[in-house]
Amino acid sequence: MLAPLPPHRGLPLSAVEPRVVAEGVSKWFGPLVAVSDVSFDVGPGVTALLGPNGAGKSTMFRMLCGLAVPSKGSVRVLGRDPRADTGVARRIGLVPQQESVFEPLSAHEFVTLTARLHGLPGPASAATQALETVDLDPSDERKLPAYSKGMRQRVKVAQAIVHDPSVLVLDEPLTGLDPRQRADLVGLFRRLGGEGRCVIVSSHVLDEVERLGSQVLVMSQGRLAAAGDFRELRALMDDRPMRVRVRTDRPRQLAGALLEAGTAVGARLDGDDLLELDTMDARALAHALAPVAKDRHARLFEVLPLDADLEGVFRYVVQR
Amino acid sequence: MSTPAAVTARPAALTTVTSYYRLLIRTQITVARLLGIGTLGALAVVIGLFARLDDNSPQAAADTVSSYGLAVLVPLATLWLGTSAVGDLIEDRLLVYLWLKPVPRWQLPAAAVLATVSVVVPLTALPLVLSASVAGAGDVAWATALAAPLAAVAYAGVFVAAGFWFRRAIWWGLAFVLIWENGVAYAAEGAARVTVVGWASSVLGRAPAIDVQLDAGSAAVALVVLPVIAIAGWLLATWRYRSADID
Repeated sequence: MLAPLPPHRGLPLSAVEPRVVAEGVSKWFGPLVAVSDVSFDVGPGVTALLGPNGAGKSTMFRMLCGLAVPSKGSVRVLGRDPRADTGVARRIGLVPQQESVFEPLSAHEFVTLTARLHGLPGPASAATQALETVDLDPSDERKLPAYSKGMRQRVKVAQAIVHDPSVLVLDEPLTGLDPRQRADLVGLFRRLGGEGRCVIVSSHVLDEVERLGSQVLVMSQGRLAAAGDFRELRALMDDRPMRVRVRTDRPRQLAGALLEAGTAVGARLDGDDLLELDTMDARALAHALAPVAKDRHARLFEVLPLDADLEGVFRYVVQR
Repeated sequence: MSTPAAVTARPAALTTVTSYYRLLIRTQITVARLLGIGTLGALAVVIGLFARLDDNSPQAAADTVSSYGLAVLVPLATLWLGTSAVGDLIEDRLLVYLWLKPVPRWQLPAAAVLATVSVVVPLTALPLVLSASVAGAGDVAWATALAAPLAAVAYAGVFVAAGFWFRRAIWWGLAFVLIWENGVAYAAEGAARVTVVGWASSVLGRAPAIDVQLDAGSAAVALVVLPVIAIAGWLLATWRYRSADID
């Protein structure tokens, strides 16, 4: 359990360093354990919470924001219990995972409502500013259901930042965005983190996380599997063996050539046209495959990575 | 990209309750709901026209208001809007946007009750008053003008609370209206005292020279009991909103 509240309890929230602390947090729903004994301490900057779907990220985020009560353990945001202290909500911005929106409202009305509920002196102008920040037109009077998925996602980000929070909890905020929009929002999150805010972003896409920042928390099956610098994690993941399935008319010749070149570290033939290759460097294999096939007069019908999904990556990390 | 505005003090209660109220009104009112409740209200007026033909039209008007208006129209309209006020937000997983705010928890349930009452009263009390008026029962119309809104207030408390407590609360509410308000209320002597329709009928019974089938007690007590039911529902809703996990 967490120690008693830190000495800055009496200080105004704006004077407290943005910090989110989870200690021994578990959450179960009947027999289902969604989060199990997770502890971390996150400060200013961008931290990515990485994990496959169903890893417990969203449940963890709900507890960080006070939306759900931990079955065990405790959460502190800015030194306070986000569940009990409604004042903490003033300093938290949340982009929830759900796609649903208030159907009768326009984007500006929605963000203005949020600003008003946070007690901003000029809610309409604050909403205008927040929408412009995420590159949306504040004068667009269409109702939210008429927006594309990516636009709705940006509206959700706008309502999360409209009150200038010091802690931002973003649950899969880049879902549904095109590459340019992703780059813009990643830039915004990095900027907000660089300004001293505590920004926690969840994702199940490795490449996304790589662009977000250096600190990562990895969750798998409700547990914290790894925490620390992303480059170390990336290296760990890159070092694991990967399996690739190739369908070709000359599997034996192709396997021999790739093993000889050292691009593959193992090969298994399956029938007349299927070949499974083990490699430590998937990128090198990808580059070598076509030239080697051409050289051996082999035709490639299919190249399929068998364990490139995140589940495979996390299994590997957790097993280590 | 610019930096959004800085936050200030906790918002005033009037501001937030009004904001919640406006939002809920906009999410509650749909064409289907207005047409449905409007049709039920129009039916009350038609029944009033027939009551006018009765030899004892004031009594026929009172029977219409009591057995149709207070037992069917008002509870069903309030059920439809009251359970959806927050129930829809819960079903659509939108409550998260309202919960994570520096706002006391009592305000959203209060706004939900207010929004429900403010829509239900004009859609139900007006047709019922009109029904009694066209039946030529002026005294009944006046009593209805008091009884129907009071019933709506009490039902709003009950059904807003149900919206917070139960998934698919409309089915729970429908069972409550059919079994409790229209079954138990008539089942035994004194059973009306534990129903909203019984106390609302007591107010209706204040009209001279009429006899209401259900009578829970004095109209003066009903003026206290019905708002107290609403307050109890609001408190239960607040407690649930404060203690439940938000999805």
